[in-house]
Amino acid sequence: MASSQHVLLSPAELAYLHASLSLTPPIRPDGRSLTQFRPLVAETGILPGTNGSARICFADGTEAIVGVKAEVERTRTGHDSPSLDDEGAEDDDDLDNQQDVVKGDNDWVEMTVEIPGYRDDDAGTVFLSAMLSEALLADGEFTKRLWINRRFHWKLYLDILLISPPLSYPLPLLSLTTHLALLATRLPRLKSEGDEDPLFDDDWAAAPYLYARPVQKGSKKTASAPTARPPVTLLVMAVGNNIIFDPSKEELAVADVALAVSVGEHTGFASSKSTEMDIDTEEIKGYHNLRLLSVRTIDPPSRLTPPGIPNASNSAYGANAGAKDTEKKKQQQEQARTAESEAVEGVWKSPRGGAKTLVMAALVQKVLEKGGVADEVLDALDGVDLN
Amino acid sequence: MPITILPPKAFRDQPPSRALNHDSDDIMSDATSDSEDSDSQPGGVSLDGGATIHPRKRRSAAPASSTFTKRPKTNVTSSVPRSAIVTPGERITTDPQWMRGHGTYLSSASLGEQAITSSLAGIVTRTNKLLSVRPLRARYTPEVGDLVVGRIVEVQAKRWRVDVGSTQLAALPLSAINLPGGILRKRTETDELQIRTFFAEGDLVVAEVQQLFQDGGAVLHTRSLKYGKLRNGVFMAVSGTGGGGGVVRSRRQVWTLESANNGGPIDVILGVNGYVWISKHVEPVVPEEAKNQTTGITNLEEVVSATMYSSQNDRIEPETMREIARIRGVVTALVENGLRVDEDMVTKGYNEAVELALVSAEGPDDVYLGGERGEQLAAALTAV
Amino acid sequence: MPLDTSAYSLALLRVDGRRWNELRRIHAQIRTQAAADGSSYLEMGHTKVMCVVNGPSEPGPRRGATSGGGGGGGGQSKNAEVAVNIVIAGFSSVDRKRRGRGDKHILELQSTISQALAASLHTHLFPHSTINISLHVLSQDGSLLAALINAATLACVDAGIPMTDYVAACTAGSTSTYAANDEGADPLLDMNHQEEQELPGLTVATLGDSDRVAVLVCESRVQVSRLEGMLAVGVDGCKQVREILDRVVRDKGIKMIQEGTVERGVGLNDMELD
Repeated sequence: MASSQHVLLSPAELAYLHASLSLTPPIRPDGRSLTQFRPLVAETGILPGTNGSARICFADGTEAIVGVKAEVERTRTGHDSPSLDDEGAEDDDDLDNQQDVVKGDNDWVEMTVEIPGYRDDDAGTVFLSAMLSEALLADGEFTKRLWINRRFHWKLYLDILLISPPLSYPLPLLSLTTHLALLATRLPRLKSEGDEDPLFDDDWAAAPYLYARPVQKGSKKTASAPTARPPVTLLVMAVGNNIIFDPSKEELAVADVALAVSVGEHTGFASSKSTEMDIDTEEIKGYHNLRLLSVRTIDPPSRLTPPGIPNASNSAYGANAGAKDTEKKKQQQEQARTAESEAVEGVWKSPRGGAKTLVMAALVQKVLEKGGVADEVLDALDGVDLN
Repeated sequence: MPITILPPKAFRDQPPSRALNHDSDDIMSDATSDSEDSDSQPGGVSLDGGATIHPRKRRSAAPASSTFTKRPKTNVTSSVPRSAIVTPGERITTDPQWMRGHGTYLSSASLGEQAITSSLAGIVTRTNKLLSVRPLRARYTPEVGDLVVGRIVEVQAKRWRVDVGSTQLAALPLSAINLPGGILRKRTETDELQIRTFFAEGDLVVAEVQQLFQDGGAVLHTRSLKYGKLRNGVFMAVSGTGGGGGVVRSRRQVWTLESANNGGPIDVILGVNGYVWISKHVEPVVPEEAKNQTTGITNLEEVVSATMYSSQNDRIEPETMREIARIRGVVTALVENGLRVDEDMVTKGYNEAVELALVSAEGPDDVYLGGERGEQLAAALTAV
Repeated sequence: MPLDTSAYSLALLRVDGRRWNELRRIHAQIRTQAAADGSSYLEMGHTKVMCVVNGPSEPGPRRGATSGGGGGGGGQSKNAEVAVNIVIAGFSSVDRKRRGRGDKHILELQSTISQALAASLHTHLFPHSTINISLHVLSQDGSLLAALINAATLACVDAGIPMTDYVAACTAGSTSTYAANDEGADPLLDMNHQEEQELPGLTVATLGDSDRVAVLVCESRVQVSRLEGMLAVGVDGCKQVREILDRVVRDKGIKMIQEGTVERGVGLNDMELD
């Protein structure tokens, strides 16, 4: 996909940026370290009419708002029609039966992305929404949270709005905002039992979070609902041997490889009755059980940039510009031919060819490493105050 | 911690209230007798004949418009009177002696008079008898003689269209640039056909505003040695320059900074339009042939212009790149903290930044100046 | 519902506790987004709207345009064009509802707002440029068009685009339905969603403090005798709204002067004639 808008940069700037990012250690234009993110402002609970909402603003002014709404919907019975004798199942077995039947359907989640200036069916918008929803639905666990009983389920609508015009590739911003909004989402507490028509508690304060909040440190946690987190998608790029996180649009413009990596957390949902997960939260020192959900290559805008012209073939360069001496011109042309095919220092050449698998593997590795960037991001997002 | 998440800085003064019942109290305060305002007087200025200059801090006793007396006191400290700002539709004066400048228009007041009315939110400026309103924030408006940095966005038959961050694209005619080979070189048709060899889309130029069109568009020229295509550096844009803040017009917009940590000399170009270029200072290379000849004054132009349209960067050392990144961080910090950007501030800021880096954990290699570090820097500068 | 419940006829209080001539709580902020030329956020009761303005700027080279440059490039209009884009979020109403871009209602809103602002902005100062106004509706509770116009005005003021005066808007309705013949029908100021659904109403926008009407939209049926009353109440409400908007701009400006971002100029009262 042709990612961000074609960021207009001159070949000289591109060559400078590329050289600067290829150094060891690389020098980023704003001086950040390789794994340092730009400071961002985040808040939740801004839309009281929704089940969950969040807003994130990056330092460069890009801003996104996500609102989550849930509606009760009748489950289409289809082929797994429960036989009538199941209806009269006993109370003790009820739990077991329900557990066995709990399965979600990807249709229960609808995600829409609105980007100003772009139509809904524009390829870029569709691709973004596909990437975000794929990360959420990849492990198949999320939709199980929407199950009410065998006849009804929650239909979750995620509306993602990009407020500012898309200057840089909006994927990481939208993904972080979606993550926060999902963390802040609450569904009304179910009062009815079994398969009867669902009845909910009117008290919003009693509504549980979609993703259960971890209990306070120090107390033991008995889990039937694991403290999983929604997935997050990070944009990673590589220039030479350097792996760079949270690239700005200028950095993305000179990337050799750019990847969108979606990371989630391992959850232990199966047979939670037997395993009493007595997890003392202090033990796990901030290391999450990360799981790779998806990796997508992003076509960096560097491939669309015009190449720089080396001085040897630049007819506007040199004291001989405009000279009528044909002998000198022939010499020049020969030099120019060799110069064009080789890489000349200080001249920008857009990257050709695909990404090496080793490079991509290294990128993914860096994202997933313990105590690495994904961990820090998830931790930081967890620390945001939920209203 | 590689990622810093900040709480919103008073984005909303009050959280959105869920119940409407509280609102009835607020409404009464919002919609008070302010609504009965209407200019009972024809908005004249209080003329005190030959009285002395009123000190600025004095609260207005005879306001120009009757709305001020009825306005309820707010939390704003009284050192800045509310009359300091004018908003669109506000009458400034009906006195016919004043001439109106930018940001104002004539409207008919009662009694058949014409009043100079503001069309912007901003501050009133007065030069002799000319009244104009400078907006709090606006896009850059070109003036003749401004030094600007611009990016080529379009190549047309005999000229380029340049984005200078203004309301219109500026024009750079082919006849207004230095052709390599000397200033006396005649422009040929080949030049028009090969126009992209000089400047192509995306290139950065530093130029001067030669004249303005009727509609406010600028015409640029690069007919001087110090203007031309930019390379060996980084570009950054500083917004909101039309009003206050941002890059200000000053004596020197271009200068060379001697950087610390073996960075060598670094050129800084502060375009009045808010576009900034920071690059390594490169002495123009004199090609072999020219060295043998005796260079007279007229030949100097020929010789130096050889490298003018090169888009190949020279070799830049990592130390220089580091210092360039540092200067970029300084300019960003100045802008984010509302300080003006000119040679003085940037130089002082740079020296501060070098010192800050020395005491930081990573030593002089640390160039990050965003967020908190930037605020530290700004505080240090305003304290000086 | 004012008519069904006897609350209104008894105590003259509307569903949310307001009287007939009270505006809802209006809260507004400008410069909410640093990257744009102008931006604003406005709440009228529970209707929340964000606006971002970019411009005036000249659109880049059009695709397919030949490089034959004339004097002035493409778009030979003498005035700036005001392009409005509205996005109504799916979560804005109580029932989640997705609206496509080609929705007629949205297109009509865009066109109305564009014309309203073009009437006030000094577009003749920026020939062949475009002012891009992008509006996002985060929550709806009635008076949508009014809130959009107010937010757009604030954002344009923030962007430093010269204009004749604020375009302030608000809604007005009547407690009597079409068929009723009651004499005692009261006009209502600033209707919320419930009132808009059941009672006739109109949206009116005025140019600043004056009585000059810039926008008047009425999509319901109402007896013509009630119209004048509604209009009068609406125009009065617009004046109140203008005051509130003006105060927001002024406070921000004074804050900027205090912080030193903007230099102080000549105060209105410090001017002296030689």
